[in-house]
Order: sequence, then C-alpha cells, then structure tokens
Amino acid sequence: MTRRDETALLQATDRKLLRWAFVCALVAAISSILLLALSGWFLTAAAIAGAAGPAAAMGFNYLIPSAAIRGLAISRTAARYGERLVSHRAALGAMATLRGKLFGKLAAQDSRTAPDLSGGDASARLIGDIEALEDLVVRRPTRPASLIAAVFAVGLTCFAGWQAALALAILLAALPGLLAFAARRLTREPAAVAAAALGDLRTAFIDYAAARPEVIAYGLGDRVSAQLLDIAAPMDRARAALFRGEGVLAGLLLAYGCVAAALVLALATGPAAQVALGLLAATASVESMAAFARTAMRQASVEQGIARLATLRTLEGEPQKRIAAAADAASIALGDVAIAPGARIAVTGRSGSGKTRILEALAGMRPAHHRLAVDGMPLENCTADRLRGQFALAPQDAVLIAGSIADNLRLARSGLNEADMRAALEVACLDRRIAAMPAGLDTPLSEAGGILSGGERKRLSLARALLAGRPWLLLDEPTEGLDGATEAELVRRLGDWLDATGTGLVLVSHRPAPLALTRQRVDVAAIALRDPARSGD
Amino acid sequence: MIKHWNAGWFWLLDLVGASWFAWGIAEAVSRAAAGLSEHYYAYAAIIGGGLMRAVSVFAVQHFAIASAQQSGVALRAGLFDRLLGRPIATPISMGGSAVVAIDHVRTIEDYEARFMPARFGATLAPLVVIAVVACASLVAAGILMVTLIPFILGMILAGTAARRASERQLAALGDLSGLFVDRVRTLPIIRHFGAEDRIARQVQGATREVADRTVAVLRAAFLSSAVLEFFSALAVALVAVYCGFSLLDMLPFPDPENLTLREAFFALAMAPEFYLPMRRLAAAYHEKQLGEAARAEIAALPEPMAMRPSVPWNGLRAQALAIAWPGHAIGPLDFAIGRTGMIALTGPTGSGKTSVLAAIAGQVAIVSGDVTPVDPGDIAWAAQQPLILPGTLRDNLKLASPQASQESVADAVRAVGLESLVGERGLDLPLDHRGSGLSGGERRRVGLARAILSGRPLLLCDEPTADLDADSAEAVVALLAELARTHAVIVATHDARLIAAADMEVAL
Repeated sequence: MTRRDETALLQATDRKLLRWAFVCALVAAISSILLLALSGWFLTAAAIAGAAGPAAAMGFNYLIPSAAIRGLAISRTAARYGERLVSHRAALGAMATLRGKLFGKLAAQDSRTAPDLSGGDASARLIGDIEALEDLVVRRPTRPASLIAAVFAVGLTCFAGWQAALALAILLAALPGLLAFAARRLTREPAAVAAAALGDLRTAFIDYAAARPEVIAYGLGDRVSAQLLDIAAPMDRARAALFRGEGVLAGLLLAYGCVAAALVLALATGPAAQVALGLLAATASVESMAAFARTAMRQASVEQGIARLATLRTLEGEPQKRIAAAADAASIALGDVAIAPGARIAVTGRSGSGKTRILEALAGMRPAHHRLAVDGMPLENCTADRLRGQFALAPQDAVLIAGSIADNLRLARSGLNEADMRAALEVACLDRRIAAMPAGLDTPLSEAGGILSGGERKRLSLARALLAGRPWLLLDEPTEGLDGATEAELVRRLGDWLDATGTGLVLVSHRPAPLALTRQRVDVAAIALRDPARSGD
Repeated sequence: MIKHWNAGWFWLLDLVGASWFAWGIAEAVSRAAAGLSEHYYAYAAIIGGGLMRAVSVFAVQHFAIASAQQSGVALRAGLFDRLLGRPIATPISMGGSAVVAIDHVRTIEDYEARFMPARFGATLAPLVVIAVVACASLVAAGILMVTLIPFILGMILAGTAARRASERQLAALGDLSGLFVDRVRTLPIIRHFGAEDRIARQVQGATREVADRTVAVLRAAFLSSAVLEFFSALAVALVAVYCGFSLLDMLPFPDPENLTLREAFFALAMAPEFYLPMRRLAAAYHEKQLGEAARAEIAALPEPMAMRPSVPWNGLRAQALAIAWPGHAIGPLDFAIGRTGMIALTGPTGSGKTSVLAAIAGQVAIVSGDVTPVDPGDIAWAAQQPLILPGTLRDNLKLASPQASQESVADAVRAVGLESLVGERGLDLPLDHRGSGLSGGERRRVGLARAILSGRPLLLCDEPTADLDADSAEAVVALLAELARTHAVIVATHDARLIAAADMEVAL
C-alpha cells in the first residue's frame, strides 16, 4: 500500500536525474570499497615483495596500484559530490511538481466539503510531510547502488577464497532485511507514541494558553507547567527510545562489519595479499550499507506522512479556468423571506446567533445551517460555481494573501487594470492611504497584512469584493473599528456605488450608519434552520 | 549529574575499539604474509573491537539524549511558566508560544543530542588517532597531520561560501514553504473569487523557480562536504602509498623508520578514523543551524513584566488608559469603580476587551495613561473558557483557594447555580483538562464559583454570557448583579442585558 502511494506521489521525479544520481552513488560506493581493499592488497604485496629481496622489489609493479589508489580518492570525492547534487536536484524538482499538483487538487475542491487546512498545524504538517518525502527521493539512488557495490565486494572477496566470498554474500544478503526488521521493532511503537504525545501536548498547551489570564491571576503557573510536563513525559520517553534505537542500529552495523571481517579472515584460503584485499573489501561493503539503516530508521514516520499525502492526492478535480462572464442576478431566499435581485437587506440578531454563518454559506465557503436558497434552489444543491457567480464577500475577519496590495485586489477577477483598482479603493476610502505609500499598489503586505491596521485591512477586503463585479455584495461588519467621520464617508461612497451598479447587498452590522444603506431587515432568529439536528455544530 | 560530562567521551571509547580491530586485522594479515599460523587473539581483537565500537555508539546516543532531555525539560518548564504563568508586556499568539515551548525545545534537544557530542568528538578524537597511529608509524601520523592544514584552509574557503549558501538555501526554502502555507491557508477566499487556476499557476511557478534557485545554491553548499570527503580519501591514499613504498624500500628519501607490515597495515586501517569525527560533525550541521536559530528566538522572547508596586484595595481608577493592540492602540479609556458596583467594557469581538481586563490585572503593558495598581492577590478572574486542571470538580472549584471550607464551596456552588450538577454527579466528578462532560455554561459557572470562592474583592469577567442560552444568560446576569453589591465587578461583554445591568458602560 505505502510503496504504491510512494510511487504515485513521486511519479514526477525526473528519471534521468535519478539514473545519474544512481551512477554517481555507484561510482562512489565502489571507489570507497576499492580504495581500502586495494590499499590493503598493495601494502601486503609490497611487504612480501620487499621481504623477498631487492630484485623482487624492483620487479614489483607499484606504479599502477599507487596511481589507482590516488585516482580512487579523487573519483570517490567527485562521485559523492555529484550524487548529492543530482539527487537533491531530482528531489527539489519532484517536490516542486508535487506541491503544485497538491495545491491544484486542493484548490479545485468545494470549500464546503474540502479538508480544512487553514490551521497552522495542518499546513505545517503538510510541509513536514513533503519534506520527509524529499528526503526519501534524495536517498533513493543510494540503496540500489550499495547493493551493487556489495556484489562487487563479494567479487573482490573471491580472491581470498570462495568460502570467504560465500560467507560475505550470505551476511550482506541478510543485512537489509535484518536492519529493516530491527528498525521496525525499535521505531514503530515509539514513533507512533511520540507523534500522538506531541499532539496531546500541543492541544493541552493551547487550551492552557487560552486560560492564561486566569492562570496568572491565581498564580497557577507552577501547577499548569507541572501538568504540561507530565503530558510531555511520554513524548520524551518515546523520543529517547527512538534515539537509542538509532544507536542500536548504528552499533549493529559496526559489529556486523567486524564479524564479517573475522569470518572472511577465518575462511580465507588465498595468498596473504588477496586475503587483505578481501578483508578490507568486506569491512567497507558493510559500511556502504549504512543507507539502509538510515532509511529503515525513518520508515515509520515517513509512512505516516506518505499516507496523509496520499489521501490528499486522491482528491478529484483539477483547477478550472473560470469564465468571467457576468451572471444574471438571482433572487435569494433567507428562510421564508424572498429577496429580489438588487435589493439591500440587513440580517440582524444577537452576536453568536449565526449571522456570519449565513454570509459564509451564501459565499459558498461553509455549509449552511439555515434554510437558504438561490433562485428557489436550496443552497446545498447549488454548485460552488453558481454561488461564486452571484456573491462577493468581504468577511468579518479580512483574509489577505501574502503579496502586494495589487495581488490581493487582482484575486477578485482576472484582467483588472490599475484604474479599476484605484476606483474600488476610492469607494473603500483607502485610495489616499495607499497613494501615500512609496510603492503604491505594489506595496507588499507581510503575512497577516502587517502594515495595514485592522480597519484598513477590512477596507482592502471590501475593495476586493467590489472589484469582483458580482450581482450581490455580502458585507460582514464593514465599518468596525472606523471613526465616525470615516464611517460616514465610507457609507456614502458605498451607497453611491450600489446605486450606480445596481448591486444587491446583504449586510451584517450592529452599527447604525451602514444599516442605513439597507431598506429591509431580517432577524436571524426568524430564519428557519435547515436541519435542527445539525444546528449545534 | 549527567549534564557535566559530554556523551562525546564515548567516541574515544569507540576509537579504542577501532584500534583493537585495526590491530587484529594487521596482526592476522602480517602473520599470513609471514606464513605463520593464525592466532585466536587476532580474532578476539577483531570481534572485541567490533563489540566495543557497537557499545560506544549506543552509549553516545543513550547518554546524549538523556543529557539533552534533562536540559530540555528544565528549559521547557521555564518556558511553560514564563509563557503561561507570567505577565508579558507584548503578548505572543497562542500558536506562536506553542511553537516556542514545544517545537523549539525539541529542536534544541536534537541539537544538543546530535551536534554537541559530535563536536566534542571532532575536537579530541583526531588528536587521539594521530597519537595511536604514531605508535605504529611516525611518518603516517605526520601525513595525517599535514593533510589537516590544507583541509582547514579548504574548509575556511569552502566553508564560508557554503555557510552563506546554506543560509540562503534555508531562507529560500522558508519563503517557499511560507508562500505555500499562505495560499493553502487562504484557499477558501481564493476559491470564493474563482481565482484557483491563477493562484495555482502562481504557486507552481514560484515553487519551480525556488527549486531552480536552490540547486544553484546547493552547488556551493555541498563544496565543504566535498572538501571533507576529498581529504578523508586522500589521507587513506597517502598513508597507503607511503607505507607501500617504505615496505618496498623504494622511498625517494632515506627511510626514517623500518616499517613492518603489521605497523603499516595498522596505520592504514586507522587512517579512515582520522576524518570520521569530522564527517559525523558535518552530518549534524543542519541540527546546529536549526538549534541555534531556535535558541536565538527563545532569547528574543520578551521578559516577564516587572510587578507594579501595588496599593491596598480601595477601588480602581483608569485615566486615559491606552494599550497596544495589533494594528492600532486601544483607548484612551477613563473609568472608575469603588469597592462595589459593575462596569461593562463593550465593543465588538476582537476589539481588545480581554486585553483591557488584562491591563487592569497588570498582565499587559500600558502604553500611556494610568490605572490603579491592584495587588494581584485582590483580583479574581472569571474567564470565557475557564481553566480546568485534571482532577476532581472540587479541586477545580478550589484552585484559587485550596483552604476553602466545605460550607463555602457549597455556598459558591449554590450561588452560581451548579447545584443540579453537583447533586447528580458529586463534587468528586473527575475532570480532564478540556473539561469534557461539562457544557460550556457549566464550565463558565465553575470559573465564576472559583472566583467567588477566592474571596478577592475585584472580579474581572470575560464575556460571561457568550454562547449561553437565554435562560442561563439571564441567570448569570442576575448573579453578577448580586455580586456587584459586595464586589467590584468589571465585565467585558457585548450582551445588551448585561450592559443594562451595569452601572457604567465603557465602549472601546
């Protein structure tokens, strides 16, 4: 299952780059083994020749092995460098494609049913999962390369005798399975415990952080922190177990190399120089299997990430190009109250009574709690596209994307020019403020809107909704946080704009000035709920 | 105790194992070359050396994580207390403080558990290797030492470039994740405006561009590891070539030492160990970067606020009180309350009502103006989401006043209308930290009962009626009106009924 998910997620990886990374990894692994083995052979052969007298020493061909040793030192370096560069390049390319694809899939979902990734934790996990996958790509060429290098080492050991080579072959063949088995035993449970305990700790911390003023007022910091430390303890134990598991695996590999060397030595039948060759080849070949140990250690956590990504990847749909043709204005119904196109109404009611939810439901951003309809069709039967064509929302909490002011305005519709943007900003009473910025419309906003105040962010979001040119404008507390004069001016300009464009308005506000724009009020309590059983969520 | 010595010492034990192993194979090969029969002690050295190495590497991991976690727990305890239990002048978001107290501490633990022992090993182990090799061959030891000089020069040259490159790489990857996270976060509004295809194209273009840029950066970033790789291979090659020519008696200079095969082979087998500690250190470099960044962020946390000298409780007065709020300042506000009565702070959600309460409690810095400094021991706080600690309902009611008598607990329970809950499920009802099993209204009342039990004269209530049904809200309003006869009550609310019950409204 996971292997298939992994393959599906990584299908965009550049095969050619992976092949090159594999070639480099192979050259590096073989150079590494050969460098040690050949050095051992050279020393022993030289000692034997030297001991046999000057004539034998003169006859010994030292040029080729000594040059080969120096050459191998260079080829090992170059190949390692190449392997790292090429495999990272393949991984970065694959991840860029995967990010783009995943984003496309997510973007094509209906907001009312899509997985919610707006929380920092969910998106951070998404990033972490993708990074773990990147690591997987980087390591991918190393494993087959070290297997082939192992076969090569067995070949070298044949010089020391077939029994030694056979023993090494068996040892090396058993190693990947042994490592995977040991890693599974050592990591599966602690990895799951650590992940779960981390989640618990985070939830508890956020809960306590929400009660922070009370904690401080009653001086309960010590008790709360002791409580959190208790929750953190299983995580620490699991993480320590993972660390020790890594130590066990590394120790296993080291001991295994020594046992392999001892076995080769004990079973060797060839001349001394060839025994030295096989002996060092055996040690180096076990070392070159370290990639298996690293991969095996990470397997448990990588699998969880892959499974999560795979569910996102199976989402249906691709982002469609939206046709910007203006839709005919539809009539809407809030419960039993029918509202004609172009009307201006206010939804009133206590706070927490669900006014905001009605606007978000009309905007197609969340499922409706109330019985709402567009052109007589219940909202839940309307496609997201249909709702988008009718409504433009300026939400209570202005959501701005990271980028410039113009980037945010351009979100509304494609093909907007600067004059359109300036006109909309003027209606939103933001034109002067932005004209005064040195970079004007291209002024970058930091992630949460940084340089703009809360009220200014709301007005930017209002200007964006105006630019969308939809038949209905949905405004949620548009003048909150404004002083009286600005509020009056904004309401006046907005009224003129509504008159000029004939746009309908659904307004939520508790302030009298914007309410004056509307001609009809609907009490939220009078709007029937869609399904009483679901009203609580 | 563990803290004072470094787990990196075990890397030296690892070297002892490596020396045994090297001696074992050198002995075995030289005996074979001399045509002598094999001896068990060579095998004993090989296997024993291997086991010692295995034990050492395990011990490094074991003690490194133990010591890192020991300091990690202390760091975490300090951060928990500082972030949750002490007033901080500039508030940090809940998500942000969770990252600091949980994720940054783990990052620092990784840094201490992986980088610290490796650094210790890298400073000491190469010297030990030189000393051990020198016992077999002075010239081979000299060769190792001589490769160190160009190695260090190379590292300085490549290392500076590589460090800059890898910092740029981290920054570029950070930008990329930032853009991706931002666009995923804002997806609902992007979909609402039908801008998915345009934004998807932008995200794809940006990720592709950053990937290409990063590859260029990596070319330099990998240089330092290439330098390390080259010198570690070169050390082996030079030792092999020197020893070979010495054994052949064909050195182009007078042979300063009469090497035997055993000495030569030992020097060769030890040569890879010389650069091994440096390679381990390089492998932990990423942890070092992340750990240092996390440490810097923790060091940059705002200090806890100093306690204002308080005056004995005799009412409260705020004059032109203003506090900082993201985007704009709140205030100036003027209000006063005596030993009894009720003030309502009003304003829409997000206008900073809770922060004004916190400023009165001395938990948030005041930008300008003044407010009577009240002793923290005189302030009771009834939160919108009251604190529930795992324990019984009784423990939770008595959090602020552990000495409270049974009668006063019963009185408080009656006052807030929790009798039916206590009657049905008892005061020993076990609660977890989420207060699972209690409704929102019941939790709110637990908070109020706790505030009443504390016997403190000033009661600060944050949205006491929010999300309550009409009847419960009426009951809470009546209760607060009752309390206002004996206490000074300041409520943050936008509930019209509660505002009507207050003696004074302060609009933000």
